[in-house]
Amino acid sequence: MASNSVLPNQVEPSAAPRRIKVVGAPSFSPARLLSDLSVLSHYRDLLYTLSVHRVKVRYKQSILGVAWAIVQPFSLMLIYTLIFTFIARVPTSGNVPYPVMLYTALLIWTYFATTLTNATNGLVSHSHLVTKVYFPREILPLTYVVAALFDLIIASPVLLGLMFYYRVPLTFNALYAIPIIVIMTMFITSVALIFSAAQVRFRDIGMALPLLLQIWMFATPIVYPLSAVPERFRTLYMLNPMVGVVENFRRVLVEAAPPNFYELGISALIAAILLPLAYIFFKHVEATIADVI
Amino acid sequence: MIDLKFDNVSKRYIVRQEAAENASRHRIIRKIQSLRRAAREFWAVRDVSFEVKRGETLGIIGHNGAGKSTILKLLANITTPTSGEISINGRLSALIEVGSGFHPELTGRENIYLNGSILGMRRHEITEKLVRIVDFAGIQQFLDTPVKRFSSGMYVRLGFSIAAHLDPDILLLDEVLAVGDASFQSKCLQRISELKQSGTTIVFISHDLGAVERVCDRVLLMKGGRIVKSGSAREVINAYENDESQISGLLESHGLNGDEIAKIRSLSFRDSDGENRSVFKTGEPFAARVEFEVYLPVKDAIIDIIFYTPDGEIHCEFTTEADGEYPRITKGSGVIEFFCPELGLMPGIYHTDVRILQRGGVEAIHAKSRVTTLRVDPGKAGRGNFFMPQEWRLSQTKIIEESGVALLHRN
Repeated sequence: MASNSVLPNQVEPSAAPRRIKVVGAPSFSPARLLSDLSVLSHYRDLLYTLSVHRVKVRYKQSILGVAWAIVQPFSLMLIYTLIFTFIARVPTSGNVPYPVMLYTALLIWTYFATTLTNATNGLVSHSHLVTKVYFPREILPLTYVVAALFDLIIASPVLLGLMFYYRVPLTFNALYAIPIIVIMTMFITSVALIFSAAQVRFRDIGMALPLLLQIWMFATPIVYPLSAVPERFRTLYMLNPMVGVVENFRRVLVEAAPPNFYELGISALIAAILLPLAYIFFKHVEATIADVI
Repeated sequence: MIDLKFDNVSKRYIVRQEAAENASRHRIIRKIQSLRRAAREFWAVRDVSFEVKRGETLGIIGHNGAGKSTILKLLANITTPTSGEISINGRLSALIEVGSGFHPELTGRENIYLNGSILGMRRHEITEKLVRIVDFAGIQQFLDTPVKRFSSGMYVRLGFSIAAHLDPDILLLDEVLAVGDASFQSKCLQRISELKQSGTTIVFISHDLGAVERVCDRVLLMKGGRIVKSGSAREVINAYENDESQISGLLESHGLNGDEIAKIRSLSFRDSDGENRSVFKTGEPFAARVEFEVYLPVKDAIIDIIFYTPDGEIHCEFTTEADGEYPRITKGSGVIEFFCPELGLMPGIYHTDVRILQRGGVEAIHAKSRVTTLRVDPGKAGRGNFFMPQEWRLSQTKIIEESGVALLHRN
């Protein structure tokens, strides 16, 4: 080949200091958890590269491309609006028009559902990578979280358009949406880690997922407001971490109100406890993943 | 300075088997039974300890199933040991299967970034090396083409090029030279020696004993998950080649167990002098010899040897069925030899299966998969997919000058 002459004869040794890695039988210790996290941070470029690719590959060879990120929640909004305002009458929250209330909730629900649908199979569908090269496996489900978050950002301006159309005012309370999305992301990440790791051994998870998501969606105030839930079931209902997140996301964005910190606190607490547990569980499964997958 | 250290490492796999006996016909009962399938332990690597010094090139050889690839997977951290400890000092890059980290939809350039970051590199480091990777692989024009449109040769070249240019401290190579054409193979070997000179620690696993001898400072011979010999390349390779059981290497066998009818003992390859060999040249006389044991006579028997490419595709076969004759094999031990006056296989590595079947039978009476590896080196020249044995004769029409015209207008 003509390029032979370009080949450098000397290979400069890598400048980065060497790290000593010790691999033993799978076990759990806090020190290992910390070292796992430091390895993950070392691989952050892979997370970035894979997430970018995830988005690119998803919309490659499709005509609408990234617009699919909008089409999905928007068409769901049209369908549910049709059903729940013309056929069955469902109350809206406050005096916000039903489509606006619905689209806001669907935005964040789509983030949840898309992530789980893709991430659950994230390890299994990458078995060719998982059995051939090493990298922290949690990156695979995480990339689906990032890609779905990207979709959420793409689909958000449509909400502004709807609010403008229905003359719903936007206030500074909307800034609370940022910490709400952080809590949401923590929760999604936990569920994605658990499901994707469990799916390696039990493919039933993937089978049950569409049904589970359907049930979960109706157990979350999306097509109806939280106020429509009878008072005596509220406490039980609030144990679904999605409730506090969805309800308050809607409250701060379209109802121009500050969040209900009690409701949001429950969601945040559950997410904060679940995330480290999910990570430990994932790392435990990861050790033998290549043997089982 | 020790870069790699295996300290009493063992790796156990649990092999689940369907319980064949007392299997119920009922679907649901079968499903329940399958949940409690008989689990069998299999130690792929047992109490292995070794060290690799900085800058050293270690070769690992042994027949299929000896535990070589498990060692590599353990080193690459793809799987974890059942017991024991592995220490790795530095950045390690493993090329277990060329191009395995490629995403078909993405372009060559995107895949370089993807692979680089999988191997633990930062984006700016990859950018610095992009030109060299692309030059080595020779894919300049195709850099922005999705790799699904790449030829398999380009795929292989890019894969090796990425792994070999990421300047790892430790490089693991598994049978990477079994693919790709001869010129690329030599280019790869040259790159490996460059890396070696610059102080990279290399672990090299290959069936290509010639390459192992050229590249490696020290070689480990593995058998049944244990290290049976360690020493200089020449010494260990000699031991390996002299070891009859290597040439007649046997792997897990399958077939109708329990009521055994016949059993394949070994497969070996011989040259015209009747010497056992595992390396032949294209066009050389070649004989394949199968030893078997028969417990119950089989009429209308078929014995065949299937040759596979490293990708696992059937390449060609020897079969007693070729002549339409079906021998009867009787009780006792037997030998069947296939003779081939001129080996038609082109240079490369071939894996083999041996089977004894009965005409019309659905399942083999006995079969052994991936028994012996045959290496073919360049011999009689030729291009294309196989060598065709040939004879040729030259004859010319004698042209008599005066009657030149007459020859054309013969009447």
